[in-house]
Amino acid sequence: MPDDEDAKLAEKPRAGVVTCPACDLHVSVAEPNDAVELYRRHANVTGHDVEWERVAFDAEAESDDAKEALIELGEDHPDGVALGRLAAALADNGVAIGETLDAVRDLRMSGEIYEPQDDYVLAV
Amino acid sequence: MTRWNNNRDEIGAVSADITAETNALPAKYFTDPEVHEMEKEKVFGQYWVYAGHATHIPDAGDYFTRTIGGKQIIVTRDDDGDVRAFYNVCAHRGSKMLDDTPMTDPGSLSRITCPYHLWAYELDGSLQSTPKSFEEASLNPDLDDDAVSELDPEENGLMEVNTDAIGPLVFVNFEDEPSLSLAEQAGSMKTELEDLPLGEYEHARRYVSEVECNWKTFSGNYSECDHCQANHQDWVRGLELMDSELEVNDYHWVLHYKHKEDVDDEMRIHPEHEAKFYYFWPNFTVNMYGTADGYGTYIIDPIDEGRFQLIADYYFRDADLSEEEEKFVQTSRQLQEEDFELVERQYEGLKSGALGQAQLGPNEHTVHKLHRLAQDAYNA
Ligand code: FES
Ligand SMILES: [Fe+2]
Ligand SMILES: [Zn+2]
Repeated sequence: MPDDEDAKLAEKPRAGVVTCPACDLHVSVAEPNDAVELYRRHANVTGHDVEWERVAFDAEAESDDAKEALIELGEDHPDGVALGRLAAALADNGVAIGETLDAVRDLRMSGEIYEPQDDYVLAV
Repeated sequence: MTRWNNNRDEIGAVSADITAETNALPAKYFTDPEVHEMEKEKVFGQYWVYAGHATHIPDAGDYFTRTIGGKQIIVTRDDDGDVRAFYNVCAHRGSKMLDDTPMTDPGSLSRITCPYHLWAYELDGSLQSTPKSFEEASLNPDLDDDAVSELDPEENGLMEVNTDAIGPLVFVNFEDEPSLSLAEQAGSMKTELEDLPLGEYEHARRYVSEVECNWKTFSGNYSECDHCQANHQDWVRGLELMDSELEVNDYHWVLHYKHKEDVDDEMRIHPEHEAKFYYFWPNFTVNMYGTADGYGTYIIDPIDEGRFQLIADYYFRDADLSEEEEKFVQTSRQLQEEDFELVERQYEGLKSGALGQAQLGPNEHTVHKLHRLAQDAYNA
């Protein structure tokens, strides 16, 4: 699993906190991808965009372009980059989670990336 | 008597009599993932469950989607102006048809078209049209076009879900033939709420929170006020808790909270001089604080056995809130947060596995009702 190392860092893994300012929602998530699940769940009933409030795992990329950032992160995560990790890296560069998910969809639909397991992606 | 998981205490069914020894739902029903799966059918598949507010879909073709007990549905208004619900599942080969669309940001269409092979349905669910490739067999050398029979619009329509309403509040029931009507399940709550002009109020706010406990843990917390004195100090300051009453009915209970000082008539939607909170089995509430001309609703929506979403909606005369109304919402939000802390803490305790069966106090008869209904549902 790509996130084993983070899990070892703490007994109870906490990947960070996500928030919806409109709902005054603050939820700590255990895994990077829990943020993505929560994003979808929340959007389904509100249409609101959930954002990272705090990221407590390693997610750094130079680029604010989804594909470039994915290539960077893929070096350390050859089995697949969790969408939540990609979203966190891009959030740091000013890209909202929803924008990242849209960009990932576009990349997937144009065949530029693939999904070795559900919600983990790599550049082709 | 409390029953611990110590191999000595015996856990029993929830007693009909609240003064008997095993008066609470055993703890495993709050923490077991299999119970969560079972509830999708036994609880959310057998009763009338709140789907949403009809004022969001005023015109034919307006729609929103909901997922209830894992079942995805479309709630729409047909050409006759009736609210109807269908599984969001295509009659051709089962594709999900419409994207998730919240009630607060509804969609609109003239017919429901499946994106996969473009079967299209009328708003009454009947099959309206299919592409030519379903009318002739040009790609199939073994079949003559004449052998292709026409698809009957009714028999190849969408699967409908029963709907009924209390004023603008729309409920669905997934049973083929519901064993209870909505009127039977709601009892006096239906007549009481229908006397109020709920439909004249505008949706002003939706707040959705995620809470780390079983949905029934929160339901139990909502239903009793033994915790209020210690945990809702701001709110109870204005209340006369000793004059309050928790009224239990077949499938709903009403919490009547009296205020210390009487509140102006304009400050209430309902006639009684009190706050009135309805809990409607399984997971819906109508909240009237008695201190604002408006009301709120909660959907206590399970995510899994250990989490739920609280979907809180607020309705006022005007969606543009006055300062006082803002304050009403804030009070309500404060109460929620205070309760979230309590129920998450309770759930941490429950998850540790020590408690086999809790014990309910004499003024937790509403919680007892909740636990009895859960047990009835599981056994049905
Ligand atoms: S599955 Fe819907 S048209 Fe084929
Ligand atoms: Fe409370
Ligand atoms: Zn929100």
